[in-house]
Amino acid sequence: MSAAEPDAQIALSPDAAEPAGLRRLGRGLRRFARRSPMSAFWGCVAALVVAVALAAPAVAPYDPLKSDFRAMTKPPTERHVFGTDQIGRDVLSRVIYGSRASLTVALGAVVFGTTLGALWGLACGYLGGRFDLVSQRMIEFLQSFPDLILAMAIAMALGAGFGTVIVAIAITRVPFGGRVIRAVVLSLKEMSYVEAARGVGASKLRVMLRHILPQCVAPYLILATTHLGVAIVIEAALGFLGVGIPPPTPTWGNMLADSLNAGLVPPWWLVLFPGAAITLTVLAFNLLGDGIRDILDPRLRGAV
Amino acid sequence: MDDTQRRGPLRYLRMYSYIVRRLAFGMVTIVIVSLVVFAILRVLPGDPLVAVFGMEGFMKLSAAERANYMAQLGLSDPLWLQYLHWMRDVAAGNLGHSFFRAESVGDMIARRGPLTAEIALLSVVLSWLVGVPVALVSALRPNSIADNLSRFLSILFLAVPGFWLGMLIVLFLLFVFGYRAPLAGASLFTNPIANLQIVVGPAVVLGLGQAAYIARMARSSLLEVIREDYVRTARAKGLGRRPVIRRHALPNALLPVVTLSGILLGFVLAGSIPVERAFGTPGLGYSMFTAVYERDIFVMQNLVLLYSVVFVLLNIAVDLTIAWLDPRIRYQ
Repeated sequence: MSAAEPDAQIALSPDAAEPAGLRRLGRGLRRFARRSPMSAFWGCVAALVVAVALAAPAVAPYDPLKSDFRAMTKPPTERHVFGTDQIGRDVLSRVIYGSRASLTVALGAVVFGTTLGALWGLACGYLGGRFDLVSQRMIEFLQSFPDLILAMAIAMALGAGFGTVIVAIAITRVPFGGRVIRAVVLSLKEMSYVEAARGVGASKLRVMLRHILPQCVAPYLILATTHLGVAIVIEAALGFLGVGIPPPTPTWGNMLADSLNAGLVPPWWLVLFPGAAITLTVLAFNLLGDGIRDILDPRLRGAV
Repeated sequence: MDDTQRRGPLRYLRMYSYIVRRLAFGMVTIVIVSLVVFAILRVLPGDPLVAVFGMEGFMKLSAAERANYMAQLGLSDPLWLQYLHWMRDVAAGNLGHSFFRAESVGDMIARRGPLTAEIALLSVVLSWLVGVPVALVSALRPNSIADNLSRFLSILFLAVPGFWLGMLIVLFLLFVFGYRAPLAGASLFTNPIANLQIVVGPAVVLGLGQAAYIARMARSSLLEVIREDYVRTARAKGLGRRPVIRRHALPNALLPVVTLSGILLGFVLAGSIPVERAFGTPGLGYSMFTAVYERDIFVMQNLVLLYSVVFVLLNIAVDLTIAWLDPRIRYQ
């Protein structure tokens, strides 16, 4: 169970001073680690990526924007572990700072897009009727663009920048959130406890928020973790196509795009490392999501 | 449900009305898509003339010259008129011109489109050839080593960005074999060998990406179907394990995979944009990238419309195929 070291430590030191909530969280995490060590391991990898992003200035050996003109397009050496790009910037530092852009965009897209979609789906599923009908048509319409093309068009229309990339990716997430949560709500709606709440005269809003919403948290979490991965890949693709966050901000997609401009044959270290960072991060989030799904709701296996 | 058994005109009437409704909805979607594409590309920040002449060239133009160029490009008409002109041109098969290239957009699509279509179709075939056998191995021995390995591989390929894999493949072939696929376009009919060299790389990358989804979906669907009563019945009447899987379980388990595959085919069209850029493939995806990069709005407008129309038609085709394969869905 070495995979869950940090979690285990929390649970092993139940100092009286420690708040009960934290201890319960520790116990929960320990149980999670026992039930699926694989997911716990990948959860730690995801946590590590987040930690590196937060502590980027402390972890990165160089300034990601500073050129070293004595070392341009140099393969990995002791001084520059991942090598340098064509204007002498340290690739390792850029990969580390790139995690900030990727994670911010992914988190923003999920917090706005998936959540908005989920709430919309909740309203559709519970209210039904004409509202649902119109909403479903709108969702089908949003899904009639492949998501990369939709994101590309929106990102271009709004002009390059952090915020626009987040909005562009968030919009592509809305229909998925809406569909999944609506389906969940449709089956919840028929439960007798919901009927009981209606029977004692609870308003529609109250039933939705107090009785149905809490049951949607599990499917939402599962969906959100997978969407984090999808959002990271879309962000990288936008950067790669030159409609993402504008340079010189280091993002993994921008770095891959830059490597193609480095000459007819891109140097391998400029290609390998940013892409490996994308793959590792997405893989970690996907496997963490898989683990969460298996534990929270085994019935959803393969559904999302 | 009795209706599904009934032979005769009623049955076909229902089917036709389903097709007609689906097509009508598709038409409406395409019209709305065109409106949205038009709106998005007209609110693009920056003057289109900056894209044409560059910032410096743009500054040198006098106000009258600017107005003249805008009028020539048809960009000074009221928006609704521009939209109607565009629709008229599209209906007449005239897709306009790029700002930068002599070739018309229609000719460009005719020249480059087949390459991208080839890549997309080949990748779908590959995804089935890889995905379904992997799912079979996985589902027939759940939790075995082979199952765990294939599940890990499929989740890995969900995480690998296709364009990055493409770049790695290009580099690998170049360093190890000193090989690079030809960069000039080649038709399947006049120069099949060059054509295949161009198409194989992107198709493999996009195919593996889809295969990962297909393997996951087919596995869970197979696991579900194997527990069904009719599979047990087939086994109970003495049919061997293999024939039961082949004749009873697999066809039913693959229904959701057909739907998924159709949806994925649509996503491949979009996915081929960065992948074609990674390989330097002279296909339509690369043109899309160039148009985006150069802010070439007429090209983008028509290409985005084309991609969306193909996507909508594909979805209709998938729905109809499923309705044809599975009578339970036909009458919803």
